[in-house]
Amino acid sequence: MAQQPLPTSAQPTDIYGGDEVSALVLDPGYCNTRAGFAGEDVPKSILPSFYGHVTSDPPRDLFGDECIIPRSDFEVRNYMNKDSVVEDWDVAAKMWEFMLVKRLQPERQTPPSKNKLNDDVKEQDGEGDVAMEEVEAMEKALEEYPLLMTEAPWNSPKAREKAIELSMESWGTPAFWLSRTPVLSSFAAGKATALVIDVGGANTSVTAIHDGMVLKRSIQRSPAGGLWLSSQIRNMWETSEPKVDLIPTFMVENKTPVDALAPAQARLREFPYKIHDSYRAFEEERLLTEFKESVVEVWRGPGRYGAAGNEEYIKSQPGRVFEMPDGYNQMWREQRFKVAEGMWDENAGYPVPESERLTKAQTIPELIRSALNAIDVDLRGNLLANVVVTGSTSLINGFNDRLNNELTAMYPGLKIKIHAAGLSSERRFGAWIGGSILASLGTFHQMWISKKEYEENGVGIVEKRCK
Amino acid sequence: MSQSGAKVSPQVSEEFQNLKRSNDKNRVLRYIIFKLSDDYSQIEVEHADADSDWENFREKLLNATSKSKTGAVGKGPRYAVYDFGFKFDGRDINKIILIAWSPDDAGVHPKMIYAASKEALKRSLEGFAYEIQANDSDDLEHSSILNAVLAKMNA
Ligand SMILES: Nc1ncnc2c1ncn2[C@@H]1O[C@H](COP(=O)(O)OP(=O)(O)O)[C@@H](O)[C@H]1O
Ligand SMILES: [Mg+2]
Repeated sequence: MAQQPLPTSAQPTDIYGGDEVSALVLDPGYCNTRAGFAGEDVPKSILPSFYGHVTSDPPRDLFGDECIIPRSDFEVRNYMNKDSVVEDWDVAAKMWEFMLVKRLQPERQTPPSKNKLNDDVKEQDGEGDVAMEEVEAMEKALEEYPLLMTEAPWNSPKAREKAIELSMESWGTPAFWLSRTPVLSSFAAGKATALVIDVGGANTSVTAIHDGMVLKRSIQRSPAGGLWLSSQIRNMWETSEPKVDLIPTFMVENKTPVDALAPAQARLREFPYKIHDSYRAFEEERLLTEFKESVVEVWRGPGRYGAAGNEEYIKSQPGRVFEMPDGYNQMWREQRFKVAEGMWDENAGYPVPESERLTKAQTIPELIRSALNAIDVDLRGNLLANVVVTGSTSLINGFNDRLNNELTAMYPGLKIKIHAAGLSSERRFGAWIGGSILASLGTFHQMWISKKEYEENGVGIVEKRCK
Repeated sequence: MSQSGAKVSPQVSEEFQNLKRSNDKNRVLRYIIFKLSDDYSQIEVEHADADSDWENFREKLLNATSKSKTGAVGKGPRYAVYDFGFKFDGRDINKIILIAWSPDDAGVHPKMIYAASKEALKRSLEGFAYEIQANDSDDLEHSSILNAVLAKMNA
C-alpha cells in the first residue's frame, strides 16, 4: 500500500500536489549518508559522508565514491563533525543535493553550470542578482518532493533550523519533517518504548525512548564505535610480530602470493604527486571495515575476555585468515577478540594514544548504566526488556551475546531482551528504513510541515512540531 | 494524533466504555482487540468479547496477521485491552491493561506503523491501569502478564 498515492481528495493541496510523487528520505551519519525514496526497502544511494576536495585553483568539491581516487592536490574531508552534527553547511547542502537530485533522479538534475555553483548561496542570499539566480536554479531541485530527514537525538536547535531552511528555501520542498534516529529504530523494531543502542561510526549512543519520545536526560554517547575500533586494529597491526603494514588497495600495483607470516611481495604504485594523508586514511578505513566484517569478534562472555582461562581457550580454537591487499596474510586468533574488548572493559584492548583512551564511563556497559540511572527507576524493567541494537558496528560477531551477558550481570533478576534485526540491511539502515515507511504513509500527510506553515512561522516551526 | 498520523475510529472508545462498565456480576466485555485498517489509516475494533478464557484471547493475538506493502500476509501486530483479574494481598482485583502486541517475526512495515500509531489509541482510552509491550509468544503467557502486572503494582 505504501507507494499507492492517496485519492487526490484526501490530500491537502498545500502539502503536495497529489500526483504520484513519493517523498525522499535522507539519513546522514558521520561515516555514511543514506538517501532514497520513501516506500522503498533500502536507500537507493549510500555514500560515505567523506568527499573529495581539490585544493589547487580553483578549489572545488567532488562528491561520490567514484571521485575519491588518487589525484594530485586532493584531500578527503567530512561535512560532519565527530558528534554526527553538520559542521560545514555549504558542503552538506551540496552533498545532499548531489544525492537527492543527481543520484536519485538523474533525469532531472540541474545543468552542471548551475549545480556546482551552490557553494555560497546561504551567505549571499538576497545580495545581488547572481546569487538570486542560483537560488532560483536550485529551487527547482526538489519542488515536488516532501523530504524526511533524520538527526541524532542531541542535534542542536540551530542545526535543526538550518535543515528546514535549506530544504524549504534552497530546494523548495513542499513539505519537510525531521525524525530522531533512535525513535525510528525503535519503531522499526515494533516498539514505542525501547532502550536504543546505536553502535555507529564515530559514536556509540544509548537513548531511552518512551511512548515514541526521546527521554532527553537518558542520552549518552561516547567514541566507542567503528572508528575507535579501527584505531584498535591499527594498533594491533602496528605492534604485531611481525608488524603488519597497513597498505590500502589503491597502493598495490601487483602482488605475488606468499606463505602465512612471510613478508609481502608486492609492487606498489608510484604517484607523481603526493598522496594526502586524509585520502590514505579514508582508503585504510575501507580495509579496516573488511577486517571487522570477516575477522573481528566480540568475546561473548559471560565475564570478561581477560578472565582466567579464556585466552587459552580461544588459542585452542580455529582462527581466521586475513589477506592484506599486498598479499601478506596470517591467522588471527586471540587478537581478533582482544581488539574489540576495549569497548566493554576500559582496561582491556590495545594501548592507544592517551587522547583516544576510553574511560570506564565511555564503555558500552557504563553508557547503558548512566542512561538508566538518569531516568525514572520504574522505567528500567520495561527498557531492559526492550533493548534495540542498531548501527553497522553492532554487526561484529558476538556483539549481541556479549551485550546480553553484560546486562544480565549488571541487572540480576530483571528480564533482559535484546532485539537486533536479523537482516544486516535493517541493522545498517534501521533509521532510514523507519523513515521510509513513515514518509510513505498516506496518513503522514498530516504530519509534514508544509511550505505554507513554514512561511507563516519561520524556522522555529521545526522545534514546535518535530518533538 | 500519533507520529504516523493514523486516526482512531469512534467505535474504539464506545467499546472501551463497555469494557470499563463491566464487572464480574455484569460482564459486558472482557477484552477488545484493535487493529489498523488495511490501508493503515485508522485504528478499529477487531474483536470485542466477554469470553474470560485467557488462552482464547492469546490465540487471537498469536494468529493475527498483517499485509506487507507487497500484499504478502505475515504475522501481524495488534493492540488490546483486557480486564485482568488476579489476587493481590489476598483480595480479588481487576485492572484494565493495554497490551501492545508486536511479534518480533512480523514484517518491519507493520511493526513500524503499529509502534508509530500507538499514541493515538492511548489517547482515546481514558482509564486503563497499565501498559505492557509484548513481542513474543512467551510475553503473552498468562503468567508473564501476571508478573508484569504485579511488578507494576509493587513499583
Ligand atoms: N559488517 C560490519 N562489521 C563491523 N563493523 C562494520 C561492518 N560494516 C561497517 N562497519 C563499520 O561501521 C561503521 C559505520 O557505521 P554506521 O552505522 O554506518 O555509522 P554512521 O551512521 O555513524 O555513519 C564504520 O566504522 C565501519 O567500519
Ligand atoms: Mg548512524
